[in-house]
Amino acid sequence: METVIPKTSTVFITLLRADVATLFSNRRSVIISLLVPVIILISWKGMIPQMGGPFALSTAITIGLMAIGLMGYTISISRDRDKGIFQRLRVAPVPGWAIMASRISIQLVMIMILTLLVFIVGFEYDKITLSAQGYLLTFAVAILGGAVYLSLGQLIVGMIKNPETVNATTRLTYFLFIMVGMFGELGALGPQVKQGVHWSPYGSVKLMLAASMEPVKWNNETTTTVLVSLGYVIIFAGIGIKNFKWNTK
Amino acid sequence: MAIEDDKYILQVEGLYVNYGNFVAVNNVKFEVLKGEIFGLLGPNGAGKTSTLSAIEGLLKFKTGTIIVDGQDVQKKPLHARASMGVQLQSTSFQPELNVVQILQLFSGIYGVPMSKDQIKGVLKDINLEDAATKKFGQLSGGQQQRVSLVIATIHNPRLVLLDEPTTGLDPQSRRQLWERIEAIREKGHAVLLTTHSMEEAEAVCDRIAIIDHGRVIAIDTPQSLIDKHRDEPEVIAVSRRGKVTLEDVFIALTGSAVRA
Repeated sequence: METVIPKTSTVFITLLRADVATLFSNRRSVIISLLVPVIILISWKGMIPQMGGPFALSTAITIGLMAIGLMGYTISISRDRDKGIFQRLRVAPVPGWAIMASRISIQLVMIMILTLLVFIVGFEYDKITLSAQGYLLTFAVAILGGAVYLSLGQLIVGMIKNPETVNATTRLTYFLFIMVGMFGELGALGPQVKQGVHWSPYGSVKLMLAASMEPVKWNNETTTTVLVSLGYVIIFAGIGIKNFKWNTK
Repeated sequence: MAIEDDKYILQVEGLYVNYGNFVAVNNVKFEVLKGEIFGLLGPNGAGKTSTLSAIEGLLKFKTGTIIVDGQDVQKKPLHARASMGVQLQSTSFQPELNVVQILQLFSGIYGVPMSKDQIKGVLKDINLEDAATKKFGQLSGGQQQRVSLVIATIHNPRLVLLDEPTTGLDPQSRRQLWERIEAIREKGHAVLLTTHSMEEAEAVCDRIAIIDHGRVIAIDTPQSLIDKHRDEPEVIAVSRRGKVTLEDVFIALTGSAVRA
């Protein structure tokens, strides 16, 4: 009797369904990812006339993307690896890439939900509107921005096996990006930090997003920022995938 | 190795696994016949789980060949895994999923998608119909084993690998699991299990291999092993109450020292 391996599409859809169920059972992680950007938009209402709508929206989306990549993806991968959930899947006829592609697809859906939510809150509460082109370009750039933080998460789980250390590292990174990023880009931490933040994963993603909201202002610096972001994705994901182990032993 | 030899469901030959300088499995060779229950016995750290992991495709090895149902596990890993059902030593599923969702997941990834009604039928067969909406972590040890075994056999595999399946089970659950393992064999499938229980090996295994320090040191039926070694002074020295058991043979062959 010939051995029949399941169709990759069936396997992928099944994994995706289970990952969706897992994600939405994990309400705390979803709420944190979506709530912080909304709180920023609401609390910054009075400052929006000075800083501009794109600045507020891009900051909110950037912080949401960080939460999705660092808190959502990274912590779930680390937990499932430690509990042996991946090992159970890998003894089935499932290609390793399908397991990861399903996880990443879920995070891409979260990125879309986050971006949409920020646009809705920005419009309803802060009366921020963009051109149709701006909305569409922002969705596309949000995926690239999300990829920066997902790949950073992959780097963390690739380099660190212990789930508690991964947990602490992602939280620290998230906190550092918010604090140093937000204060640094305003110049509160000095010109050198401001320059560093500008080209950091925080600054480049935020700049890219802000530019995509006003496509007419897209310039060479924005294009350079896109290339820098792509560079981050390639380097972080490359090292993270190369060093990734499916179990913690 | 004769890949076309259709007598065997599993052929392991010249398997060598090392972790740095530590050699976990050294030139291991054994075969499992179709429809056979084969036990892999050995003290802690003897190389049982490494051998099983190599068969399951969880670890790569540089030397040796493993053929499952005619498929080389390194050259055609997905085909080999499709022929196997596996119950790992400590099974873990996504804690957010309930029993029905877990069964839907695994039936789907093994290519035999099941509806909720079909899954309820399966759960009824293993007396777990009330556990459908429970999370795996909320089940008792025996119930978890039953779910794990159902998942391992959900696609009707020709070879079922069970890594210490009765660890932590009470006598009733253990007996029930033995019956389920024998039922798998009655359907014509082979079972390869690892165990520390000599009672279990004697009760359910057709043949056993004793592995120590990464090498297979004996391979035969439980009764033949007892008969072959019963008069050896080392066996007599460790036997209790005048009756030689498989455990006496095992201790005589692998030594009395406690392993880490």
